[in-house]
Amino acid sequence: MTSFYILTKKEYVQMFREFKLIWLPLVFMFLGATQPVVTYYLPSILAALGGNQGITIDPAMTQQDGAQVMAATLGSQFDQLGIMVIVIAMMGIIQSDKANGMLDFILTRPVTVGSYIGGKIFSNFLFVALSVTFGYFVSFVYAHFLFSHMPFLDMIFAIIFYLLWVLFIIAFTTMVSTIFNGQGVIALISIVSLLVLKILSGLHPIMDLLNPAGMSQQAMLVLITGSVDSYLYGNMLITFIWIALMVMVSHYWISGKKYHKD
Amino acid sequence: MLIITNLKKEYSGKQILNGVELHIKKGEILGFVGSNGAGKTTTLNSITGIIEHDEGTITINGASKLELLHYKKQFFFIPDTINVFKNISGYDWIRFVMKLYDSDQTERMKRFISQFEMEEAMPKAMGTYSYGMLHKLMLIVGFTINPPIMIMDEPLNGLDPNSVLTFKKLVKSYVEEGGTVFFSTHLLDIAEKICTTVAILKDGKIILHEKIENVVGEHTLESLFMEKQNVEY
Repeated sequence: MTSFYILTKKEYVQMFREFKLIWLPLVFMFLGATQPVVTYYLPSILAALGGNQGITIDPAMTQQDGAQVMAATLGSQFDQLGIMVIVIAMMGIIQSDKANGMLDFILTRPVTVGSYIGGKIFSNFLFVALSVTFGYFVSFVYAHFLFSHMPFLDMIFAIIFYLLWVLFIIAFTTMVSTIFNGQGVIALISIVSLLVLKILSGLHPIMDLLNPAGMSQQAMLVLITGSVDSYLYGNMLITFIWIALMVMVSHYWISGKKYHKD
Repeated sequence: MLIITNLKKEYSGKQILNGVELHIKKGEILGFVGSNGAGKTTTLNSITGIIEHDEGTITINGASKLELLHYKKQFFFIPDTINVFKNISGYDWIRFVMKLYDSDQTERMKRFISQFEMEEAMPKAMGTYSYGMLHKLMLIVGFTINPPIMIMDEPLNGLDPNSVLTFKKLVKSYVEEGGTVFFSTHLLDIAEKICTTVAILKDGKIILHEKIENVVGEHTLESLFMEKQNVEY
């Protein structure tokens, strides 16, 4: 049995004991349901509550279709609250092992730094990816019944592109968690950096090419238009390069024992 | 078995290890003693790879740190401060560590659990364990894995008298099975009874490495240690 597999399994045991295996998918299912439900019932909600303050829905407003609602789930719910939830769930990924001495304990066993980091990123990505996908499919079900049907293949491509952005989020948070020691600092740096990347995406095609958050834009584009733009493959490749760089920085930091204070 | 040559380590401009030389033979039970700040833990941390030393070489069973996984399989290290995942049971923890060493000796594990009287505690979360229980847990894992050498930093800390007796018996049977033990301690009277050799570290250098029978007779280990520290006893 390889140490990568053993460490991955250990991560899941810990997630189970910390109830993370339950709450994270539930949060994403809730986020997934929120966008279509709120969008659909907004006129009724405003009619019931907003009328007194003069807030009404323009009757001439174009009705959104299912694909647009799904795109809004990714862009509004997952890319804002979702990012914060993922970072908060992952901020201790390496930091907690450093703080309680587990990192030293594990690395004095027959384990390589590569399998330690690999096990962490793989197990957490797989789990977060499943949680996001659950939430996405909940959103799909509501969007399908409350709005309109959307091409299944577009939906699959969109979630694949989006999960590459999620992988970047995990790799980035892992790197920050490796370098910094306070959970508050890790959360702040990660959330602010990732939200800035998200805000910058869509401003300019060349910037999107270099920006991993461009993968989220690509996912929304597939949903809304059914096609991808010419920068997709370049964007994917560069996102993979960013992820590799993050992993290399984490590896360098741990193998060089730079987390030890002299 | 364990060969340390000219080991040097500096921290913030202070030379902690100043050319440590140590050659531990197979079957030896070496007590590693020294005052606070003499460099015992730094030596152990250098051997186990927790820190990188500045100069010198370390080999265990012929394996150097360059052969990382092979090197790490040669020893089992028990640190002074035992860190565990607080919400995982003792059983889950032992199985996790055993798997890292490709060890699957359940019967052997059960025997040591019984010898350290840890049966009731094992299914409980390790967050409920006392300091001494965590030490026992680590000793159970180490003896179950049965590596070529056990390296321990103050293994007797927190152990009750029964467990100290069990520790002594297990160390002896482990060495009879072909193991080697290298541990630091401040408990000189116990070290005198368990160890076959003793090494005294002072100011980052080994100032004595001898068989216990050669140094204890007229002296006790305690009086010898005080003499080497230039302290009147």
